[in-house]
Amino acid sequence: MQIDFAAKELTVKLVYYGPALSGKTSNLRAIHWLGTSNACGELMTLETQNDRTLFFDMLPITVSSGSGLKVRLKLFTVPGQVMHNATRRLVLQGTDGVAFIADSQRSEADANRESFLNLKCNLEENGIDPERIPTIIQFNKRDMASIRTDEELELIAQRSREPIYKAVATRGYGVMQTLRGLIRDTWAKLEGDHQLEDKFGISPIRFMTEVEAKLKHDPGPGGR
Amino acid sequence: MQDQTNVADIMMGDVVRLEDVLSRDSVTSVCKSFFGLFGLPVRVISHEGDLLADVHRDQPLCNYLNTLHEGERECAGTVSIVRDLEPDVETIVHPCFTGAVYRIVPLEYQGRPIGRFIVGPYVPAETTQPPASLLSIDAEIDAAAACAHFDTMPRVREDIAKEISAHLKGVLELLLFSGHRAQLASTMQVASVRENYRELAEKNEALKSSFEKLKQLDQLKSTFLATVSHELRSPLTSIIGYTEMLESGAAGALSDGQAEFLGTIRNKADQLLSLISSLLDLGRLEAKSLDLNHEQIDPHALLSDLAATIVPTANRRNVSLDIQVDDETPNVWGDQVRVGQILLNLVDNAVKFSDEGGTVTVRAERGEIDAAGASGLGAALFTASEPAVVLTVQDGGMGIAEQNLSKVFDAFYQVDAGTTRVHGGAGLGLSIVKNLVDGHGGKIEVTSTLGEGTIFSVTLPAADEDA
Repeated sequence: MQIDFAAKELTVKLVYYGPALSGKTSNLRAIHWLGTSNACGELMTLETQNDRTLFFDMLPITVSSGSGLKVRLKLFTVPGQVMHNATRRLVLQGTDGVAFIADSQRSEADANRESFLNLKCNLEENGIDPERIPTIIQFNKRDMASIRTDEELELIAQRSREPIYKAVATRGYGVMQTLRGLIRDTWAKLEGDHQLEDKFGISPIRFMTEVEAKLKHDPGPGGR
Repeated sequence: MQDQTNVADIMMGDVVRLEDVLSRDSVTSVCKSFFGLFGLPVRVISHEGDLLADVHRDQPLCNYLNTLHEGERECAGTVSIVRDLEPDVETIVHPCFTGAVYRIVPLEYQGRPIGRFIVGPYVPAETTQPPASLLSIDAEIDAAAACAHFDTMPRVREDIAKEISAHLKGVLELLLFSGHRAQLASTMQVASVRENYRELAEKNEALKSSFEKLKQLDQLKSTFLATVSHELRSPLTSIIGYTEMLESGAAGALSDGQAEFLGTIRNKADQLLSLISSLLDLGRLEAKSLDLNHEQIDPHALLSDLAATIVPTANRRNVSLDIQVDDETPNVWGDQVRVGQILLNLVDNAVKFSDEGGTVTVRAERGEIDAAGASGLGAALFTASEPAVVLTVQDGGMGIAEQNLSKVFDAFYQVDAGTTRVHGGAGLGLSIVKNLVDGHGGKIEVTSTLGEGTIFSVTLPAADEDA
C-alpha cells in the first residue's frame, strides 16, 4: 500500500492469481463491464496473440470517499502459465490482497493446488507472509460440466481458512461479490496495520458502504 | 534501463510523469492537426509545469496590444495566470480582457492529475462586440485598430469549443493509455528477463556446488573400490594357493569327490580374482594412476598371442576365429600387456555373444587418427592426421540396440541385465577397455545391427616407423 498523507490518497494493490486459463482476466473484464464508469478506469491488458496474459492485466478503480480520502485500487492479474514465474513474482511485489481464481473443473484440481503452492512460494520470495496476507478463493467456471458440486464446495468452505466464492466470470456472476470480499478483507487488514480510521476518519464499515455504492451495477442508457 | 526503484513504482501500475509515456512529437502532431481543423491554439502542459506541445499563430490583436505599455502588462499577467491554472476535475474557462477566453482542461489518469491542455485564446462566437475592458486598457489605444484586430480573432461557439476540447481530451488520454501500456510492457520485459536471469544464476550456482560434491563422492568411490579390491585380493590369493596345494596332494591323496569340489572352489576363486583385478584396474584407470609402458608391438605377434589364448574358449563354444593382419599394418605404440587386455576383452565378449557355429573376425590394418579429435572440429588448425593401427573385432551375435550403444562403455552397465546370469561378468570389461584405449590416446567405436552382430573398432597410435 502507498499512503500520500498530503493528497489524502491511498493506493492499494490487489492481485488475481491462479492457474492458466482459470479466468483471472475474465474477472477483471467483468468488473470493468459491470462497474460504474466513473469509478473504473480503462482495463489494460498485456496479452499474447492467443489471448493468454503475457505480463499482466490492470484495472484501476478510484473511490473518492465522502471523508475526503481518495482510495485507488489497482487490480492486477498474473500470467498463469508455469513458464512465466518470474513475471508472477514481480507482479506480486507489494500486493495487499490476493484473490485466488480456481477452476471448478475436477480435472483442474492439480493445477489449482500447484498454482496455490506457487503463490505461497512467490509471496515468501517477496517477503510477504502468506499466513497474514488477506486471501480469498473463487471457484470459477460454475457453468462447466464435471465440476465440484455446490455441496462439495460447502464442505470445502467449512474447513477452509480462506473465504470461498463461486463465480461464472465470463457472464459476470459472482465477480463483484468476490471483489467486495477481497476489498473488505484487505481493508480490515490495512485498518489493523495502519489505523486508517484514526488517520483518515473513515471506518471500515463506512468505507465498504461507499465502495459498494461506487461499484454498484449501473445499467446506464446502453443497458450495460 | 529503469533502475529498481522506478521499476517498483511502475509495478504499482502508475505513470510517474506525463512525458515518460507521451512523446512530445506525437502530442505536437495531434495538436497541429487540431489547430489545422479548428484554427484554435492549443498547449499541453504536464503536472510538473513542463510545456509538451505549443501550437499557435500570433494573433494580430495580441501583437498590437503588446506595443502598448498597459496592454503588454495586462497581456503578460493573463498569460501567466492561465499557465499556472491547474483545474482539479472540471474544465476552467478563463476570460481575457480582450473578450477572448482560454479553456483549461485537466488531464487525469487513474485517479491522479497528470497535466492539462489550454485551448485559446479564442473569442466565443456569442460575443459580437469588443468589450469595454479592451478599449479602455491603455490611454493610447486606437479603438478602430483594436476593433479591426478583434474581428480577426478565431471564433467558435462555446458549446462547440466544449465538444472539441472533450474530443482532444479523449485523443490525448488514448495516447497516454497506449504510451503507458507500451512503457509497462517494456519495463516488465526487462524486469522479467532480469528476474529469470537471477533465478537461473542461483540455480546454476546450486548445480555447480552439487556437481562438486558429486565429484568428491565419485573420487571417494574410486578410492574405496581400489582399497577394497586390494584388501580382497590378499586373502583370495591364499585361498587359491592352498586349494592348489590340496589339489596337488600336498596334504594327502584326494577322493574323486574331494577333487571335484576343490576344482569348483578353484574355478570360482579364479573368477572372483579376475573380477577383483578388473575392479582394481578400473579404480586405477579412473584415478589415472595406471602406468603404461609404451613400446613397439608387432600386430602379428599381438594377434597370434590373442588367438592362442582365446582358442580353447572359442572351441568350447564351437565358434571359429578368423584372424587377419593386413600387410601394411604398422606396429602399435602402446603397453603390450594392456593392449593385449583390450583385445582379449573385446574378443572374449565377441565369442561369448556369438551363436554356436558362428565366426569372430579379428582384423588389424593401417589407419589414421585425426589430430583434431574425433569430431574433426577446427581440423584446419591442427597438423594432419597421424598414422594408426585399427583393430576390429566383429561378431555375428544378437547385436545391441541403437539406444543402448552409448551406454556400453559405462561401468557396471549390462545391455540386458538378464545376460549377466547367462554370460557372466560384472559389466566392467568394456569400461576398462574404453579407459585403456583413452589412456593410449586412441579411440574406440562400436556399430551394431540387431540380429546381425556388432563391430568394435579400436584405433591406437602407430609406432614411429623410422624408429
